[in-house]
Amino acid sequence: MTAETIIQSLASGLLMGLLYGLIAVGLALIFGLMDVVNFAHGEFLMIAMYATFFLFAFFALDPLLSAPLVAAALFIFGAVVYLLIVRFAVRAKANTGMVQIFSTFGLAVLMRGVAQYFFTPDYRSIPHSWLGGKTISIAGIYLPQPQLVGALIAIAAFAGLYFFIHRTDFGRALEATREDAGAVALVGIDKNKVFALGWGLGAALVGLAGAVMAIFFYVFPDVGASFATIAYVTVALGGFGSVFGAFAGGIVVGLVEAITTLILPPSLKTVGIYGVYLLVVFIRPRGLFGSI
Amino acid sequence: MTITRRNVLLGATAAAALGPIAARAQTSEVKIGVIYPFSGASAQIGVDAQRAFETAAEIINGKFDYDLPLARNEGLPGLGGAKIKLVFADHQADPQKGRAEAERLITQEKVAAVIGSYQSAVAVTASQICERYQIPYLSADNSSPSLHRRGLKYYFRAAPHDEMFSQAMFDFFDAMKKKGTKIETLALFHEDTIFGTDSSNAQLKLAQERGYKVVADIKYRANSPSLSAEVQQLKAANADVLMPSSYTTDGILLVKTMAELGYKPNAIVAQDAGFSEKALYDAVGDKLEGVISRGSFSLDLAAKRPMVGKINDMFKAKSGKDFNDYSSRQFMGLIVMADAINRAKSTEGEKIRDALAATDMPGEATIMPWKRVKFDENGQNNDADPVLLQYVGGKFVTIFPTQAAVAEASWPMK
Repeated sequence: MTAETIIQSLASGLLMGLLYGLIAVGLALIFGLMDVVNFAHGEFLMIAMYATFFLFAFFALDPLLSAPLVAAALFIFGAVVYLLIVRFAVRAKANTGMVQIFSTFGLAVLMRGVAQYFFTPDYRSIPHSWLGGKTISIAGIYLPQPQLVGALIAIAAFAGLYFFIHRTDFGRALEATREDAGAVALVGIDKNKVFALGWGLGAALVGLAGAVMAIFFYVFPDVGASFATIAYVTVALGGFGSVFGAFAGGIVVGLVEAITTLILPPSLKTVGIYGVYLLVVFIRPRGLFGSI
Repeated sequence: MTITRRNVLLGATAAAALGPIAARAQTSEVKIGVIYPFSGASAQIGVDAQRAFETAAEIINGKFDYDLPLARNEGLPGLGGAKIKLVFADHQADPQKGRAEAERLITQEKVAAVIGSYQSAVAVTASQICERYQIPYLSADNSSPSLHRRGLKYYFRAAPHDEMFSQAMFDFFDAMKKKGTKIETLALFHEDTIFGTDSSNAQLKLAQERGYKVVADIKYRANSPSLSAEVQQLKAANADVLMPSSYTTDGILLVKTMAELGYKPNAIVAQDAGFSEKALYDAVGDKLEGVISRGSFSLDLAAKRPMVGKINDMFKAKSGKDFNDYSSRQFMGLIVMADAINRAKSTEGEKIRDALAATDMPGEATIMPWKRVKFDENGQNNDADPVLLQYVGGKFVTIFPTQAAVAEASWPMK
């Protein structure tokens, strides 16, 4: 194993890790806001990727240009999902947790089925885009441009989110609602509005990730499944509800995955991730940056 | 119209009442269970397979002037002209679901035989259930060599398995070496279910026997979100030939990642699967000029055997695609099974099994480049000669073996 191989693997792992973080942060945000795990998170990613693909196929819109549109569309979608489904699920008198799980899980199955019916199960991909297939080579280390730009977008999104939560009124309302939903109602903040916007924001972030992913990954109705699993472990590792935790968790997962592949047979690469996760659970059950 | 709960109940009762009558009326039909993935990651395979089986059923049930068994008669003459009825079941690429669905097909749907299943891992469980109920199972397109070595009495496979395919690849390497091409090192890249594992085991053994050095043997996790680290290892090994055994999803990601990491192998000789799927070439075909894949079918054959082209047109009208290695084998699977049921003159599992064992179909009466269809005592057809195809200018041409070849291999790939 040469130094070049190691550096290349770590670089690839870091870039993928930042994308994993971007995929996971919406999940962390929604969980932090109202203690609901969105089991349709992978399917949110899937429709974002399809939206990017169809904007390219019908309007020849490059994924980089359609990314804001897709994020905006997902924002609306996320808010609607809250208003039509989750809002009612959390009202359940008994077994609230189960009702929440099954409502978002049911949504996931439905979305997959609808996608398979309308888009067919065929694998689609965007054959030519501004970044697709391009790569930068520095001293023998290859950095694929789609992942590189994706990583930069992820960093920018995290910075923006940080600013948004800590410096804007809405962000403060979000934090306050999360701390004590009953108390914010007393000061005149509409809890439902805050939750709907939170879901919108979470979905918009995964929409952004989907648009970037569509540049270099294939799209099909089940594409969300493997990424969702990684998103859940990322959130659990980084700390439930912590936005910064999702960022750090994503990087850890990406790097651990890359290192595991160097040491163990690649078919065991998820073993490393779960091993590290179990270690974290052992030492710090709430996750690396969890505050709950 | 509003659907009330009462409407739904009425409808269900009516359906339940009509069910048995409909079942009794179907005596002039022979039901065959077709078990494929219709949802999940490989659902498109199932969708295309359904079209291939429907094409075969159309030819069997209708009257066509092809030199194919049962084409010239309507239905099965051995059973008084009974029609073939296909019952499709979705195994979602899950061996446990495959087991359950096979059992349902046999006990609920009363199928006379089962054909499957794309994923070899599912064929393992589905064929075990068939064995227990003494119902024949035919692998249309499963290629794992271990499948026919389990001592099953009711298992049959008309198509080649991966050892035969891999053997063709190594025969081809030997022939190329004789011509002075440098082929010394190989890199194996295979997914972690039974298909990839069996394929790489066969390749490892052949490489050892024939003196090729395997410089990388990478077993990766199917449907991985990223293959960067794996490709990095392939690149570092830089073998003369890269030999992937991958389904479509991983195949697309592999080729994309190779391009991103600046890895351009001298030659790729693929164990089919993803590398015969249109979706893969739609996605990354521009990076695959000159890729070689094994196959058991080639449209070139239409020049020698015109019915191949005509049947392909029938399939294309249904599916929008040309026959590929999979759809052609699925098509032949039903023809072989229906031919046996016709000769058995019965829908009893044991009689169909004996008729299958007695099958002797000349290659000219198929759409494949095979010598014939004749099963050995394990249910394997050893006369199904595989071919190697090269992707040139947007389509596949046969390059090996010499008697079937229509073009010379171009090596290295572009």
